[in-house]
Amino acid sequence: MPPRRDNDKFIQEDSDSDISIDDGVDVVKNVKGKGKATDAQRKRDKGKSKTKDTQAYTWEASYTRSWESVQEDEAGSLQSSVDDWMARGRRRRLLAPSTAIRRTIIRHLVLLLDLSSSMMDRDMRPTRFDLMLQYAREFIAEWFDQNPLGQIGVVGMRAGIGERIGEMSGNPQEVLKSIADRHKLEPTGEPSLQNSIEMARSSMSHLPTHSSREIVIIFGSLTTCDPGNIHETLDSCVRAKIRISVVALAAEMKICRDLCEKTGGQFGVALNEGHFRDLLFELVPPPAQQALTRPAGGAATGTRAANPSADLMMMGFPTRLPDTSPPSLCVCHSEIKSEGFLCPRCLAKVCDVPTDCDICGLMIVSSPHLARSYHHLFPVKAYEAVLSEDQIPPDAPKTCHACARPFLTAPTATHGGDGLSPLGRYRCPNCQNDFCSECDIFVHDVVHCCPGCGK
Amino acid sequence: MDDENGSHLSVVIDLSPAQWHSSAQPPPDNPYPLPLSIFLAQLLTFLNAHIASKHENTLAVFGAFPGKSVMLYSSTDPPPQTQVIDANSYPPFKLVDSTIVTRVMEEFDEQAEITDEAPNSLVSALAKALCYVNRVTLPTTTTSSKQAEGRDPTILPDPRILVLSVSPDLSTSYIPIMNAIFSAQKLKVTIDVCQVYGPESVFLQQAAHLTGGSYIFLERRDALLQYLIMSFLSPPSIRKILSVPTQDKIDFRAACFCHKNIVDIGFVCSVCLSIFCQPVPVCSTCRTKFPMKTLQRLNAARPMLPASTASPSRAASSAPQARPSTTPATPKTNGSSAAPPGGLPHSGTIGNGTARTASANESGV
Ligand SMILES: [Zn+2]
Ligand SMILES: [Zn+2]
Ligand SMILES: [Zn+2]
Ligand SMILES: [Zn+2]
Ligand SMILES: [Zn+2]
Ligand SMILES: [Zn+2]
Repeated sequence: MPPRRDNDKFIQEDSDSDISIDDGVDVVKNVKGKGKATDAQRKRDKGKSKTKDTQAYTWEASYTRSWESVQEDEAGSLQSSVDDWMARGRRRRLLAPSTAIRRTIIRHLVLLLDLSSSMMDRDMRPTRFDLMLQYAREFIAEWFDQNPLGQIGVVGMRAGIGERIGEMSGNPQEVLKSIADRHKLEPTGEPSLQNSIEMARSSMSHLPTHSSREIVIIFGSLTTCDPGNIHETLDSCVRAKIRISVVALAAEMKICRDLCEKTGGQFGVALNEGHFRDLLFELVPPPAQQALTRPAGGAATGTRAANPSADLMMMGFPTRLPDTSPPSLCVCHSEIKSEGFLCPRCLAKVCDVPTDCDICGLMIVSSPHLARSYHHLFPVKAYEAVLSEDQIPPDAPKTCHACARPFLTAPTATHGGDGLSPLGRYRCPNCQNDFCSECDIFVHDVVHCCPGCGK
Repeated sequence: MDDENGSHLSVVIDLSPAQWHSSAQPPPDNPYPLPLSIFLAQLLTFLNAHIASKHENTLAVFGAFPGKSVMLYSSTDPPPQTQVIDANSYPPFKLVDSTIVTRVMEEFDEQAEITDEAPNSLVSALAKALCYVNRVTLPTTTTSSKQAEGRDPTILPDPRILVLSVSPDLSTSYIPIMNAIFSAQKLKVTIDVCQVYGPESVFLQQAAHLTGGSYIFLERRDALLQYLIMSFLSPPSIRKILSVPTQDKIDFRAACFCHKNIVDIGFVCSVCLSIFCQPVPVCSTCRTKFPMKTLQRLNAARPMLPASTASPSRAASSAPQARPSTTPATPKTNGSSAAPPGGLPHSGTIGNGTARTASANESGV
């Protein structure tokens, strides 16, 4: 711990703004490194960034010698310094461009798990196999959270064949159940990439054109034992517009990289447990649709690219009956029960949504399912940091407009830069209200609705 | 319950003057009149009951006025006590009561100077309540008072938000309300809803359902306090034992992006999931162009009724009492001319008037 410097001004008890950073140069350099990583991918968990290539964590670079900029506060605690460091990171992430809107949101994904004997290696604790199952569960839960209308199927590779473990399903519980029992998945034999990719491909061949098809392979072996030419399989995947991504646990294999590059997927080799998780979770957000990044607005007539996979779907939003309603037969299982959903078109009762109505064929979805992704479409405008006291009108409120936390009364020294406000005030460009840094982050990350103007 | 911590309650009060005016009308049109003064008196009793039931309980009150939302009271930043201590009242109750009443009156005085009524700000009040809950439950931002009491900051004080609404659904607020619901789920906040006056609220039903709270449509408005105490006083952890009233049906309809109508059958863009009330050739949100043959197929498959009124009127005939808020099926050209006249119009026109102005203002966004 470096000694405290006399010229540091530590001002008050609260929060994340009372730290000074001496090595301004060092910080600026770090911002650049981190900024690049932020552009490359959107990520939810702070500090989880990484490169898409195989070199070491770039974010480590931004933490290089970070101890030099850490100072104790008056009470001798490091907490405020750490908070500040985190606040800077989060703020930086908010400032990243948030324009990419076009994403394929109805996704279909087959998770290909390597269940060959090489998965029993203990280079990742406890074993590659156990770690893979654990991360696969977390991945599935997170994936459904962000892709509510998507479906996941699971295929295993062991003993030279592809093995269907879980059918395509839109219900996270069903998918999780299929990989819940590790004894049924005990690794054995050699993996076969070709066999299992063919199996995954065939399970997605019937899908409608407007959905994305993806295969995510978790691969721990360095060999594959295929009955034919795997490049033909690769070509058929390219034709079927299947996007293959591979997370390798051992080392890079040429064929794996080819699979990803030719189909537009992502390839990564996990360096350690944390990196493995990061690589996998990078595949959670919906991939931005390629070749459609033209600016919106200008082209009102004519020149819009026809997106072959886009379509308009008719959907019904049902009414949910409570447990206390009079029992009646459902149309899907012909069972007597009280609860259920009424098809808005034919008023038939179905047990669960999303589904297609068995009577009239209408696709019935619960509208909150759709709404979960709307914040991608209408992001809240970034708040502007208030940089000096001149920008604060004399009658401005002294507390955060949202949570009523009191603002700083005087600017903290040596702040600024990095888009951070020395006064801890962030102003909505729309309603001109000031918010504290916690609320700034909370509004943009979670609420997606400005508490001042309601937009 | 062996839970040592108190529970946090944030109350969001819908204080739309026009709605309260019609709520106070005498019986022939309005079987159970409830003027604002009586509502506030009963609400304050409920708030006092919440504070009294456990010393650690915390409280925040937000008011949603037309075009503006305000924090009326919060127990983390209590107002300076200027009142003379009255021997006949318990000071903490007195403080809450007088603060809230004074603030509400101040705001109404301010509102009186504004002539045209802005759309109700329930959404922004809800967002403020969420930010406040985020503040009081976040372990890293322990306020000094909490540390002084030596409370473990990592244990959440069982937060919930009670929305007391009197306005019809504002269909422009569909997306923000949905976003608020998902953030409440993330924060593990329960949203309770009491629709005190006006039609059933589709969006608030969904809010209560998705966060595990109760939605109560007040039929006997004179019994407000009883409803409040029986259903909303107990924190969620105790409700499992108490069996509080649950909601009847839940209406999962959504608002279309093009006219802000509430629809039960919609047309959804497969790229961005925007909802439209009729087949459109181009998605207005993401500018995706849809194939011609899909449009023909969908147009052929639509219900036989005329375009703009198709789904709402059909819906209204199937369940009239639950769905009165769907009437403004007005295209925006009519919308601007249908703005409410000055003063306080007749009760029947208020809901539609507000919703129409709003859709006229916002449909260009
Ligand atoms: Zn059934
Ligand atoms: Zn049907
Ligand atoms: Zn704040
Ligand atoms: Zn704003
Ligand atoms: Zn519409
Ligand atoms: Zn779209």
